[in-house]
Amino acid sequence: MLRDITIGQYYPSDSPIHRLDPRTKLVITFLFIIIIFFVRYYTGYLFILAFLALIVILSGIPVKYILKGLRPLLFIILLTFFINIFFTAGETTLFTLWFIRVTKEGLRQAFFMTLRLVFLVVGTSLLTLTTSPISLTDGIESLLRPLRVIKFPSHELAMMMTIALRFIPTLLEETDKIMKAQMARGADFESGNLIQRAKAMVPLLVPLFVSAFRRADDLAMAMEARCYRGGESRTRMKVLTMGRLDVLAFASIAALIAAVLLNTYL
Amino acid sequence: MNKTIHMEGCDTGNSMTIKKILKLDFSARNAVKIAMLSTVAFVLMLISFPLAAIFPPFLKLDISDIPALLGGFALGPMAAVLIELIKNLLHIFIRGTMTGGIGELSNFLVGSFYVVPASIIYIINKTRKNAIKGLIVGIISMTVIACFSNYFLVIPLYQKFMPLDQIISSSPLPFVNDIKSFLVFAIAPFNLLKSSIASIVTMLIYKKLSPILHK
Repeated sequence: MLRDITIGQYYPSDSPIHRLDPRTKLVITFLFIIIIFFVRYYTGYLFILAFLALIVILSGIPVKYILKGLRPLLFIILLTFFINIFFTAGETTLFTLWFIRVTKEGLRQAFFMTLRLVFLVVGTSLLTLTTSPISLTDGIESLLRPLRVIKFPSHELAMMMTIALRFIPTLLEETDKIMKAQMARGADFESGNLIQRAKAMVPLLVPLFVSAFRRADDLAMAMEARCYRGGESRTRMKVLTMGRLDVLAFASIAALIAAVLLNTYL
Repeated sequence: MNKTIHMEGCDTGNSMTIKKILKLDFSARNAVKIAMLSTVAFVLMLISFPLAAIFPPFLKLDISDIPALLGGFALGPMAAVLIELIKNLLHIFIRGTMTGGIGELSNFLVGSFYVVPASIIYIINKTRKNAIKGLIVGIISMTVIACFSNYFLVIPLYQKFMPLDQIISSSPLPFVNDIKSFLVFAIAPFNLLKSSIASIVTMLIYKKLSPILHK
């Protein structure tokens, strides 16, 4: 059952978007999330749409693949749409269905909120679609480096995340194996009330933790044997560098921000 | 196999200062333990089940706080916070975020306010009684913080997508009709339940695991 879960969103390819520095993409995604909330008119969404379309075309990710990522959200998107229609008070009634009054304002509000949600999800998932978790981790490490001043362990955080990323598939498989092994012995994970279900987790969790710690022990020993000693003066195999592409990317998000702000406040 | 004796987390006595409690030594061994506990937390996050009968569908019950609690008990509160942080960052990086990071931020905040008090109290004096005391304080702290963070941060942010009425009406209970009753009848009991389950399971497994945790 667990192996059915597709874990990663990443779509490997070699497009200009994939080649962008992960720091650039992280910062741009953050700015994008903020700017989406400044849009007040539909014309503002045209800029957002153009920006997203540009990224999708450049990244070469099939639109189908992106929409597939929206599927788990379909229910919430539809809910947002209909509830916005029904709960928005308005003057101009378009038509009445039984007790539901659909107004012009309600319809506008519904489209507006739904578009906002869809753009937000597509925009943020483009980050994880075009950037592997490992390079995102490198990006976060570099972006958080200034926090070293207040003793934030940015290098250690990135190192631990890298280890975690490497072991997620292993532990997922392990979890699956343990679950099946315990089910073969009559364990029941899927029925009973909450307390019973929580208790049923014990025969799953104990072996899972034991196996995780055994692996941790092996890895720690290997690292100690190779004299691992933290982030000071370590060199790295892939050094992050900003290039002309990144400048272009920052220019385009600056243009988007300017366009949206002008559209909203002028 | 491994004969090195590590003394971290083994010192006892009530004379520990706050500074000493908060200190976390980033030896390779500790860092790897934290990384592994975060991995388990991430995996447990994937096996979450919604409780649509009593709670709104976006509140999903998972037991991913347990690894953070174990880490907190064994290595101190800083380790627990790091595990919560890494778990949520991994979730954003791998699964992508459906809420612009709001859901993950709220999970991190609420989870930290559960594991930190619990592990501080346990570390001061490592007895079974203190563990239970710590977990109860953690449960209360988590529930209170969940209400505050939802009222001031999460619900205002979610409101950017849907009217408040819809968030409130997503609770299947009929008498939930404003934000206060939503907090009291959806957010508070949900977090109470989530942390109680994590606490019970932790109490059931900690003793079995503590020998390997401290190795």
